[in-house]
Amino acid sequence: MARLVAMQPRQASPWASSSSPLLPSSLSEFSGAALSISLQKRRRTWQPKGALQVTASGAKKILIMGGTRFIGVFLSRLLVKEGHQVTLFTRGKAPITQQLPGESDQDYEDFKSKILHLKGDRKDFEFVKTSLAAKGFDVIYDINGREAVEVEPILDALPKLEQFIYCSSAGVYLKSDLLPHFETDAVDPKSRHKGKLETESLLDSRGVNWTSIRPVYIYGPLNYNPVEEWFFHRLKAGRPIPVPNSGVQITQLGHVKDLARAFVTVLGNSKASKQVYNISGSKYVTFDGLARACAKGAGFPEPEIVHYNPKEFDFGKKKAFPFRDQHFFASIEKAQRELGWAPEFGLVEGLADSYNLDFGRGTFRKPADFTTDDMILGKSLVLQS
Amino acid sequence: MAAAVTFAAPALPSLHSSSCSLPPLTHRSLSFVAFTSPTITKLSFHRSSRRFSSAPSTSVFSIKAAAAAADKKRVLVVNTNSGGHAVIGFYFAQQLLSSGHEVTVLTVGDESSDKMKKPPFTRFSELVSAGGKTVWGNPAQVGDIVGTAKFDVVLDNNGKDLDTVKPVADWAISAGVEQFLYISSAGIYKPLDEIPHVEGDLVKDDASHVLVEKYMAGLSFSSWAVFRPQYMIGSGNNKDCEEWFFDRIVRDRPVPIPGSGMQLTNISHVRDLSSMLSLAVENSAAANGKIFNCVSDRAVTFDGLAKLCAQAAGRELKVIHYDPKAVGIDAKKAFPFRNMHFYAEPRAAKEIMGWTSSTNLPEDLKERFDEYVKIGRDKKPMQFDIDDKILGSLKVAVTV
Repeated sequence: MARLVAMQPRQASPWASSSSPLLPSSLSEFSGAALSISLQKRRRTWQPKGALQVTASGAKKILIMGGTRFIGVFLSRLLVKEGHQVTLFTRGKAPITQQLPGESDQDYEDFKSKILHLKGDRKDFEFVKTSLAAKGFDVIYDINGREAVEVEPILDALPKLEQFIYCSSAGVYLKSDLLPHFETDAVDPKSRHKGKLETESLLDSRGVNWTSIRPVYIYGPLNYNPVEEWFFHRLKAGRPIPVPNSGVQITQLGHVKDLARAFVTVLGNSKASKQVYNISGSKYVTFDGLARACAKGAGFPEPEIVHYNPKEFDFGKKKAFPFRDQHFFASIEKAQRELGWAPEFGLVEGLADSYNLDFGRGTFRKPADFTTDDMILGKSLVLQS
Repeated sequence: MAAAVTFAAPALPSLHSSSCSLPPLTHRSLSFVAFTSPTITKLSFHRSSRRFSSAPSTSVFSIKAAAAAADKKRVLVVNTNSGGHAVIGFYFAQQLLSSGHEVTVLTVGDESSDKMKKPPFTRFSELVSAGGKTVWGNPAQVGDIVGTAKFDVVLDNNGKDLDTVKPVADWAISAGVEQFLYISSAGIYKPLDEIPHVEGDLVKDDASHVLVEKYMAGLSFSSWAVFRPQYMIGSGNNKDCEEWFFDRIVRDRPVPIPGSGMQLTNISHVRDLSSMLSLAVENSAAANGKIFNCVSDRAVTFDGLAKLCAQAAGRELKVIHYDPKAVGIDAKKAFPFRNMHFYAEPRAAKEIMGWTSSTNLPEDLKERFDEYVKIGRDKKPMQFDIDDKILGSLKVAVTV
């Protein structure tokens, strides 16, 4: 009987363990060159014969709304490597570029020399309209838009826009007893993410060639949402991991580099016109399982997990756990089938990548705050005594 | 003997990961040809043209055409005489017959057995009316039972272990059967933190089905495939599924669900399973050497299923969660599904054969409830001993 260690290369035997694909070493340090080559190869190999060949015909003039924080950092590098002219629209509060851990000096200098910046506040709609109209762009990547009103001036400024690619969210789906979410599922007009929905509707109503990407939870180096970071703080401190209720709730993480690749895959792709795609990891995971996966990825021993009933506590404004307390996962089949995209990071590999390039080097966005943990653990201790 | 041909370019375990980028679905039939050599295409035509007088079309689309006369198969279904899987053979036989194939169903045991008084066996006359043959006997003697009859395809929907399936597989080889299909079980997957179970994932070391799967693979069938199902609903089901919920809901009884009720499972309409099997028969080259999770493409939680059953019945729902250990009962006896996340996805069937799921639980459960009432089961007197034990023990805990 085949009993294989997770990291072995894929074998022909259907009984081999392949729950974690072997990670090419070039991906453990983000190497734009390696990725763009594999992207081009992918596009060439998997276009069906006779279908409309829409390749990125020459360099595009691309504007990324945002691009200095997380997704855009990786996306902009891929686009620059592909030869496009890429501008980042930001207020300039964060540095326009930063060298990534694992990125060679040469790669960084090359990127830095090519990336352009348009300084402004996207909430200043007049400025957005005039500056974009003045410069003219072929393609917009809207990575940080939340409300439909923010998109209107962009569309007004660029009547000849070739494509508007939007970072939406799987949070728009209406909660359901039947999962995973498919792109055809009902959406929730009252959700916290209704601005994303309204933006998608606006794009559709304006007759723009739009594509919308709906990620689930994004993770990876530079994540500013404390997803994996939340677990890493506790693992490093040797603290138990407090998980609400049963811990069998299922969630889904998608690596930012895989997401960036998906964003590039839809560029100039006629199949993606007016389409929505769920983009995330290939498998889903329980809350308890995620705690264990973070430990594995970061090289910590298996953590102690403490379950608690959130109703017994008043945490005030503090968030005691980084995930919504429900099952939440989406199928990525449509993107795989129609775009020839597939995630390259398995969960443990992806968490290792995040740890090795970020938290493990001593960097994080939010300092550790164990206030809610102590409330939970304090109460558990009392019950035991 | 024609060589086993695999059209799908990626190796099986990589179905859902990076190197397996698939041609868009709409161009699937074209791209199928793009990746196969002309000689292989001719081979498959040669096989089928041996049998039929009409010259097969050389159009590539006939690889995937629904059973035309040129592609008529002679199929033997070796069917279990009880349990959750019994209904699979029935639907598969019906679908094959309506597509114009020849079908013989060999059911284990005696035609006169009490087991034949339960569905789907009570409906076997439908198979006969549709032109199928139904026979009974011991699968170990399959050769004697079918005599000189020739078959192109055999489905073993019976054996859980090598002792039971080996005689059938060995006979099939000796009798020149080209395609061997086996109903295994998604229950052999090793439970992991990451979900769902995907084809190629680790299976339990001691699972008897695995030995069968490996044995089949080692034989020289032109085409072999393994199907791993979960739970099914559908008329003709031999084992209760949704009925367990209806029984309680129509009698205004609370529905006791172990644990949190958040456990995921996969409840498929059996027509999804038969459509997947039929697709494998009609695409034997593509299906060769593959494992298919034979399930619908949605998970439902225990609580969610209870809700959907209540909605289908148009009745109120009351769910009680309990800890089986604390109550002192065996959850296996108290609840129809295994008490854990148990969810496989049909990724291989979708990617390799372009299969699609048609299970629609809200609609399907309405139909199931209509039949439930039609046969008078809602009025049937019933005992709920285990339920009462659970509810009783919970009441005891509360009054302390």
